[in-house]
Amino acid sequence: MSRGYTLVICEKPDAARRVSDALSGGSSRNEQLDGTTVFRFSRKGEEYVVCSAQGHVYGVSDPTDERSVYPVFDVEWYSSDLLDEDSANAARRISAIKKLSSEASKFVNACDFDVEGETIGFNLLRYACGGKEKDALRARFSTLTEEDLVKAFDELRPLQGQGFARAGRARHAIDFVWGVNLTRALSQSALGSGHRYQTVSVGRVQGPTLGFLVQRERESREFVPVPHWKVSGVFERDGKKFTAAYVDDRVETKAVADAIRTECVGREAVADAVRKSSVQVGSPVPFNIGDLQKEAYRQFGYTPSRTLQIAERLYLSALISYPRTGSQRLPPSIGYSKILQNLGGIPEYSALVPELLRGQPKPVQGPKEDAAHPAIHPTGERPKRALDASEASVFDLVARRFLAAFGPSARRELAEVSLSVGGRGFRLSGGRTVFPGWMKFYGKYAGYRDVELLPIARGDRFRVVDVPVEERFEQRPPKYNQSSLLEKMEKEGIGTKATRAEIISTLVGRGYVAGESMEVTDLGLSVVETMGKYAPSIISTGLTKNIEEKLEAVEGGAEGEAALLRETVRSIADQVGELSANEEAVGKEIDSALMSTAARSFVLGRCPVCKTGELRIIRSKTTKKRFVGCSNYPTGCRASAPLPQKGTVKPTNRACEHCSWPVVYVVGGRRPWKLCVNPECPGKKK
Amino acid sequence: MEAVCESRVPGEEEMKCTICRREAVADLCAYHTEAREKVKGAYPAWVKAYGRIEWEDYLDKVKRNVQTGQWAKEIAELLKG
Repeated sequence: MSRGYTLVICEKPDAARRVSDALSGGSSRNEQLDGTTVFRFSRKGEEYVVCSAQGHVYGVSDPTDERSVYPVFDVEWYSSDLLDEDSANAARRISAIKKLSSEASKFVNACDFDVEGETIGFNLLRYACGGKEKDALRARFSTLTEEDLVKAFDELRPLQGQGFARAGRARHAIDFVWGVNLTRALSQSALGSGHRYQTVSVGRVQGPTLGFLVQRERESREFVPVPHWKVSGVFERDGKKFTAAYVDDRVETKAVADAIRTECVGREAVADAVRKSSVQVGSPVPFNIGDLQKEAYRQFGYTPSRTLQIAERLYLSALISYPRTGSQRLPPSIGYSKILQNLGGIPEYSALVPELLRGQPKPVQGPKEDAAHPAIHPTGERPKRALDASEASVFDLVARRFLAAFGPSARRELAEVSLSVGGRGFRLSGGRTVFPGWMKFYGKYAGYRDVELLPIARGDRFRVVDVPVEERFEQRPPKYNQSSLLEKMEKEGIGTKATRAEIISTLVGRGYVAGESMEVTDLGLSVVETMGKYAPSIISTGLTKNIEEKLEAVEGGAEGEAALLRETVRSIADQVGELSANEEAVGKEIDSALMSTAARSFVLGRCPVCKTGELRIIRSKTTKKRFVGCSNYPTGCRASAPLPQKGTVKPTNRACEHCSWPVVYVVGGRRPWKLCVNPECPGKKK
Repeated sequence: MEAVCESRVPGEEEMKCTICRREAVADLCAYHTEAREKVKGAYPAWVKAYGRIEWEDYLDKVKRNVQTGQWAKEIAELLKG
């Protein structure tokens, strides 16, 4: 065999650069091939060439590529540029790798070690390198630091079983067959009803996820609150006053609430019990991707997909470990002390680290494991470039969570005083942190507040100055936000850690939910209603969860993918058959929802001038420009306002806090922005 | 001026919901029918809570309560007449 070089395939260009720098000690030469950058260098007497994909460069499709044809069950892998105009780059990358493979004698898959990364590498080795997927070696690493990369290439190993790649390819095929058939069935039904063509999609995970949203939306829109009363007591001694809650959090009838007030005001209260207790609060477990997404939403309001993007940038900058992990565990092999020492070199953490390095550092571990990668942790490297504000926030959160995992449990002292007024009881609670433990390391993210109590002893007496009675109502069931929806998907076991955030974004993109409040549109309601009637399995969690479990078995090598594909095709064929048999009825329902959703997308909110009309987006027949006008224009309301002429204007369903005119989202250009449509808004004059 | 998009007028032969014009079984769609049950079903709990409250007064309070869901508000408005 002729002596060629080792061809290393990475998942992304940034990773290829880091691998080259690490293996060559910074001496690699880069060159352009078909518009892509490749790196060449020598290492231990061997020649290396490092190239990269740009995420997936192959995708599945059906050979007909006719959007009116369904059902289709034959799928093939194609170069992504043939499937999507925006993936023109894929052809150049495939061409470069094809050329490089002809002179290579050894192949290394250095894509991310997970289902998607393994699939990307497998496809390039099979299709671009001429069937080298079985001969290639695997580089496994969880961070892009020089140390980890060198170690990974010193310990290259043959690919075994290829469970990740087989599961990944099966997942792509199943999701395609699922999505294309149901989407075509729904879209063609709507088209048959006279609506212009519009994609009405139902993905395998998308359907049940939309089902969760619709169920909550219905509960919320049908909700009727029932009143109850909150009673509290204002107590006084020696000029000092404090408030304590009535022993029942909610008093069910007004009559009882009024009776408590009448019986207690002006009487004497006795502290008949003072209970103090101390509780240990354990350190939070290390982050997996879902936990990080939820915490970033809670702390900064970042959507799950935004957090994932930021975390990936931090990973590619070698600042944190691979983020798409399900693990909540930090194995000793990551080198606790070294990471802690390095973090100690970063000013923000320098005062915190020495305490953790006393003795043998040992982190708290969570219950969830992931064989491929440890929990998300900082690598200990200092940022070599200026991080933007969002990157700095997520990096700080990851670093502090890592430090907190090594901190001791915190201790809080809780106190509760029971006050008795005749036969009525009141309760006063407080708590304070007496030993901060891990909270010191987690800093502002820990979120425990101290509520100090007055020094009260058993038998102390007070005068009841007042007994306020407040009418309250049950709260409407909260709608899902992006974070709580992600949590629900995790709990129900649908989607993967890598795809959940994207699925939520797709639901927004398809017009099934609108705005930040994740309000389900008429289209979203109608899709779930129609599916529930004609293809109920599609929106139930059972079928998709079953497939998810079987895909996991394929990953682990316990099950073959062929049987799973056959089973899925059978299920989809049944469901699509039902939709097809009811095409007219399905079409009518979807069409009506499309019309209603489209109409609503032009309604901005109640007119603040006439108070009865709706402000809408109008396009002038003469100037062709769009502006805001009131639906009561024909009866005299002249409320109007200009709108930006570029970009897409979307309703937020919110009124401006300064002037009550609607606030809109303007999408286009660099980033979406919110705008109060009132040109005279006092908020703009500040 | 013209609206960019307007709802299509439905066929007269079809039963449409009095409130939202979705397909209806009788006078209301499935969503508003369910909401009507909820509004009617909550009345006894309000009577118990206040000791006494007239049906009209109840509907008025439900309609104006910020916690009431959109479909329940629309039903309260409809029942109030």
